[in-house]
Amino acid sequence: MSMIDSVTELEALATGIAIVDDDNVITYSNTTFARRLNIDTLPRRLTDIALAEARSRDLLEWQLRDIGESALTIEIAPGRSLTLYIGARRDGQRLVIAAIGWPHRDESTLDLAAQLDPLTGFGNRLMYAERLREFEALGARYAAVLVIDLDHFKQVNDTLGHGAGDELLVLVAQRIRASTRGNDTLIRLGGDEFVILIPDEKRREGLEALARRLVDLLGRPFLVDGHQINIGASIGIATLLGDSAQLQDLLRHADLALYEAKHQGRAGHYVFQSHLEQRAFDRRDFEVDLRRALGLRQFTLHYQPQTSMREQRVIGFEALIRWEHPTRGRVSPLEFIPLAEELGEIASIGRWVIRQACQQAMTWGDERLSVAVNVSPAQFADDAIVDVVRDALAHSGLAPARLELEITEGLFLEESESIMRRLWAIQELGVAIAIDDFGTGYASLGYLNSFPFSKIKIDKSFIQAEPSPRAKALISGILAMGSNLGMATTAEGIETLEQYRQLEHEGCNLAQGYYIARPMPAEQIADFLGQFRLSAAQAS
Amino acid sequence: MPDTLYRLVYMSRNDISDEIEPQIGGILEISRENNRQAQITGALMFNSGCFAQVLEGPHHAIQATFERIQCDERHSDVTVLLFEPSDARVFSSWAMAYVGAQAAAEQRFGHLGRDSGFEFAALDGNEIFNVLRANLYDAEPGEGVSS
Ligand SMILES: Cc1cc2nc3c(=O)[nH]c(=O)nc-3n(C[C@H](O)[C@H](O)[C@H](O)COP(=O)(O)O)c2cc1C
Repeated sequence: MSMIDSVTELEALATGIAIVDDDNVITYSNTTFARRLNIDTLPRRLTDIALAEARSRDLLEWQLRDIGESALTIEIAPGRSLTLYIGARRDGQRLVIAAIGWPHRDESTLDLAAQLDPLTGFGNRLMYAERLREFEALGARYAAVLVIDLDHFKQVNDTLGHGAGDELLVLVAQRIRASTRGNDTLIRLGGDEFVILIPDEKRREGLEALARRLVDLLGRPFLVDGHQINIGASIGIATLLGDSAQLQDLLRHADLALYEAKHQGRAGHYVFQSHLEQRAFDRRDFEVDLRRALGLRQFTLHYQPQTSMREQRVIGFEALIRWEHPTRGRVSPLEFIPLAEELGEIASIGRWVIRQACQQAMTWGDERLSVAVNVSPAQFADDAIVDVVRDALAHSGLAPARLELEITEGLFLEESESIMRRLWAIQELGVAIAIDDFGTGYASLGYLNSFPFSKIKIDKSFIQAEPSPRAKALISGILAMGSNLGMATTAEGIETLEQYRQLEHEGCNLAQGYYIARPMPAEQIADFLGQFRLSAAQAS
Repeated sequence: MPDTLYRLVYMSRNDISDEIEPQIGGILEISRENNRQAQITGALMFNSGCFAQVLEGPHHAIQATFERIQCDERHSDVTVLLFEPSDARVFSSWAMAYVGAQAAAEQRFGHLGRDSGFEFAALDGNEIFNVLRANLYDAEPGEGVSS
């Protein structure tokens, strides 16, 4: 109590202040505190004060069991809340401060209050920084950080509301508290991310045991708002082993380890290792390169012909993106498209692809040739896709019927009216829409009935599979379905004459694959068309 | 309606490997004490493989009690079978049952119930119990704990 000199000064304060003993009995309270909590006589147990909700009492009792400092907002009467800042227990007593309402910025004049998260009673970022400063000042040589991130928390908020989300966070905090020791610092970084800062930890096994316990405990069911909720947790661990220069890196390292834990499948933990840092740098470089690729004109389109099996004629080309990087060489779309989707770069890359494909198709000198463009589900996330297609057609002058968008089944994993609306809008422009990689998605087949797709492209994994009875049955099933629905069928990835003959025999309409031709730069298309006509004429 | 009555039914794996009697006795004792204060009633069933518990009471009380129970290292693999509002209590006081192959259960565990104020009951006829009992029988390892 060194900061305040006399009892009279305490009395005069507009801040409600009280002191409680080991049994949570209020041994001193200034008038403001007594007024705010409706206390008329002392001694009185803090946990016996009148509260609007029984739940608040449970929380208060729970919070007081902990000897560390914490904060808690409780409803003292309907519509009247108080935030209690509970100091750490020292020499059998602790300070309790009562502030009106939810914590405000301007109450941050109280150091402790500013460092606490009122929802969970854990510390916040400020407290973390403060503790690091203390560690540094003490020349701490051993410390560890666990970063805990909840899996599926967003779904809880989305489906049950923020009230339930908050209640869940309180329970999560309690489980974390129950698994840790008194001198660990517990932090809620914000959202659903928690940090445990452990002083003096030397053994990695102990940390891993704690992480396993937490993953286990947080994976057990919660009862919130009348619902059973199952979430899970992933944990990243970083330790400071005898080198205080790294103190500032702890949290970042733990975050990198967390990323790795999530990457390896959720509900687990990972201990930071130095190679993760290199990997993070590499990932960052790759991101930067990808963000620049469009501006530096490093993308090109290659075209793979699609032929009609019956007529032995090229009916069009599928445009395939290539990224040629000066030092990385050719980067596979399998590598950069997912990242582009994650970074949101897919929208601008996708726009470029559609425009470029339309423009180049205009130079082919054959009005019948179509051009097919792959569109990622991420591009269908908003209405912009419709404008992109319309603009590309207007800009190039390409007849809409010559353009075809290839989408994957992934688009239909979640039933969405807005996606169907965009598909119909594009269809109304006169553009065809085909299903790509058919048979690999997990969508139900119902969507096939809901839209007049131009083609079903059978995934190459079926075409290239060992010619087992099962593979054959699958293919003929897909072909029959296509013809019933009035949709053309394309076999992708045909590599051999046998595969070609077999599919032709089964009644497949269109063919694409190395057996016919590899994807080629735009400049080679004219030559290819000439040669193909020649050899087709010779063959017949 | 802050005090709507809820019912929770869960099962878990019994991780008590030795001293099962004093351990169960301890659980019953503390449960009776805590649950009465929290206005919770219910029943606990166990054998050497499993626990099954029914808790009835106000939402917040069940939540707080279940949080404590969850963290108890004497069991694991907690599976919630039911959590929903209910019109009335099925167990107006406390009940406890040993469900297993051992015929001498009443003899062996009966005093636990009497000492802790639990009613050691056969719990026949109740639907929840029929399901739980079937599960418990399935989970009991071959011979059970013999002494
Ligand atoms: C299967 C099982 C059932 C339990 N049931 C209850 C119960 O109904 N009520 C209760 O208060 N404690 C129950 N406990 C004991 C709690 O887990 C915990 O040990 C006890 O509430 C004391 O908690 P504390 O040490 O945090 O005060 C049960 C434990 C087990 C293993």
